[in-house]
Amino acid sequence: MADSALRVALVGPPNSGKSTLFNQLTRLRQRVGNYPGVTVERCSGVATVDGEALEVIDLPGIHGLSSRSPDQAVTRDVLTGMMEDGRPPDAVILVLDATRLETHLMIAEPVLALGLRTLVVLTMVDELDERGGEMNVAGLSERLGVEAVLLNARRSESVAPVREFLRTLLPARPETQECPVVAAVEPSVRPGRPLPLVDQFKARRRRVQAIGRAARYRGPGPSKATQRIDAVVLHRIWGPAVFLACVVLVFQSIFRGAVPLMDATEAAVAAGGGLLEGALPASWFRSLLVDGVWAGVGAVVVFLPQILVLFLFIAVLEDSGYMARAAVVADRLMQRAGLQGQSFLPLLSGYACAVPAIMAARTVEDDRDRIATMFVTPFMTCSARLPVYALLIAAFVPEGPLLGPVLGRRAAALLALYALGLAGAVATAAALKRSLLRNRATPFVMELPPYRWPTARSVGARLLGRAWVFLARVGKIIMTVSVVLSLLARFPTGPEGTAPAIEDSALAAVGHFIEPAVAPFGFDWRIGIGLVTSLAAREVIVGTLGTIYGIEAADESSPELQAALQDSLDAGAAAALLVFFVFALQCMSTVAVMRRETGGWRWPALQFGYMLALGLGGAWVANALL
Amino acid sequence: MDPTTKATRESRLRVLTSVPLQEEVVLVRIDLAGDEAEPLLERGIVPGCRLCPVHYAPGGGPVVCRVDGSLVAFRREMATCLCVRSVQEAMGLLDAN
Repeated sequence: MADSALRVALVGPPNSGKSTLFNQLTRLRQRVGNYPGVTVERCSGVATVDGEALEVIDLPGIHGLSSRSPDQAVTRDVLTGMMEDGRPPDAVILVLDATRLETHLMIAEPVLALGLRTLVVLTMVDELDERGGEMNVAGLSERLGVEAVLLNARRSESVAPVREFLRTLLPARPETQECPVVAAVEPSVRPGRPLPLVDQFKARRRRVQAIGRAARYRGPGPSKATQRIDAVVLHRIWGPAVFLACVVLVFQSIFRGAVPLMDATEAAVAAGGGLLEGALPASWFRSLLVDGVWAGVGAVVVFLPQILVLFLFIAVLEDSGYMARAAVVADRLMQRAGLQGQSFLPLLSGYACAVPAIMAARTVEDDRDRIATMFVTPFMTCSARLPVYALLIAAFVPEGPLLGPVLGRRAAALLALYALGLAGAVATAAALKRSLLRNRATPFVMELPPYRWPTARSVGARLLGRAWVFLARVGKIIMTVSVVLSLLARFPTGPEGTAPAIEDSALAAVGHFIEPAVAPFGFDWRIGIGLVTSLAAREVIVGTLGTIYGIEAADESSPELQAALQDSLDAGAAAALLVFFVFALQCMSTVAVMRRETGGWRWPALQFGYMLALGLGGAWVANALL
Repeated sequence: MDPTTKATRESRLRVLTSVPLQEEVVLVRIDLAGDEAEPLLERGIVPGCRLCPVHYAPGGGPVVCRVDGSLVAFRREMATCLCVRSVQEAMGLLDAN
């Protein structure tokens, strides 16, 4: 799209129907990225009116334009032309929930004060009617000094007035407009600023109430359905029970429900690789293509079912209104680790896979808490660690009861590894929140939207967006790493272009090179190679060790591989290897997604280095103690 | 204002966490620094507004209040910094003034 295309920004509080309107206007012609240097997502799309393409930007849901949160700072910077090529939007569509008008009008004043051409869109009007509320939109429009329209953004035909507004923008660049309501843009907030701020907001609230009176606004009665559901989900006993049931459902769905889909994806990738191998003559290029590029694509695609399942739940829970309640219920627990209620779901999802879990941390509003959540998520015992744990536990922990029939030794060992990971997460979160991510005041304040049925269109759009972000952004990085590892394993080639034995490969040279570094932990060069290859993904070490020990089709249950490991490692080294895998970030997909979500290399580099140091330190201690 | 009257008025102030569920009260004062109070202020929770606690989350979790038809949740530590008085009393003071 041309840089000179008209640009329209969608602004409004969270859960006002802004993103639904965005989907209606752009019909899924969207791009998702990050604003430079921050974790705030940039969603833009193309709306076509009379054959002309307009760029529509869906700005984050906000309640103000101060610099208190990154979402608000980015919104302010976009609207004032300090971002987006230094050009402010040509027009603003301010989306407000008509059922919560007095609260939502508080954001109208600073937005209108910018003097940009603005359309006020009042959503959820059907709900306002149903619950006995009413308003005079002409009166509101007159008082605000801008056009205002009523809309039920869930019905596609009702966006016609918005399209009509976009049409009026086309002939010429619109002029800025005078706003009769306010005098100046709200100044940014400085920490510890004393109370005059309260007076500013008191004055704003009085003006908002005057606008409401002019519009003959009568708010709807409390939603009976919301009251009834909240009586259960926020109940002191039933609330945590419902929360726990949701958590178990999400966890089981990711951990078990997505497995058949993942298996099918894996089989399809393997079949595709086989076809590719059969179709091409044997050469280093075929090897690179099949074992590097194709395997790299497969390593990415195999996570897609888990990501889609997790985001299906997140979309339904958020759109229904329950997610905000879950954050309220979990807040006390998470507060003890220095985090907020919204951090719970990402951390839980981390037990299945850190990749979608880190993406799920977008639900955490505060930027520092979001980074802390993403930082500690890989400590949760993901499914990729299980093959490694299973192999080493089976090889080194004898079967037998520990607590009678209740708990066996191997189960206890597995449980201890899960607990160690959780302890690492909690301690790291607490340390981060007391140091690098020490809070300016980040109070937990959350608006609870009324319960609503999620729409298939909205949920589908979000799933498509998530899938695309994952495949396009993370895929590039993981594929590059896979290709590099594959090249190292395939070179130097033999006289007929055949791959060398693993011991003679460049990868083995790397293993021998790093052997002195891993020797203090009781590891030899073979384990060293395993550690290098498992940088791509933890479970890769099982296959690598199988290759090195010459065991075909080795998996975690192979008795031959277990026996080979018993010969190579003593008890201390085995414990060291387990502890290393508890703490170290051996997953390039996680690094890639962290880079994508934080908008830079600083946090993933710090996270990788910290977890590696913790893994090596823990391994050294374990080896020394046993 | 007569110091005795002022002291009496102050003594009738309560913190929000002491208000029983479903009792509507008027916010009198926010004892928080500006940046801490701002998320409340942005949502229209300013002195003079009416608040009604409708849920206290389990285990000492956040309090959920109804404000202008919206439900807003915030931690109890924050709620203890919100000084309120009953609606009747606030109306009485308004009439007296």
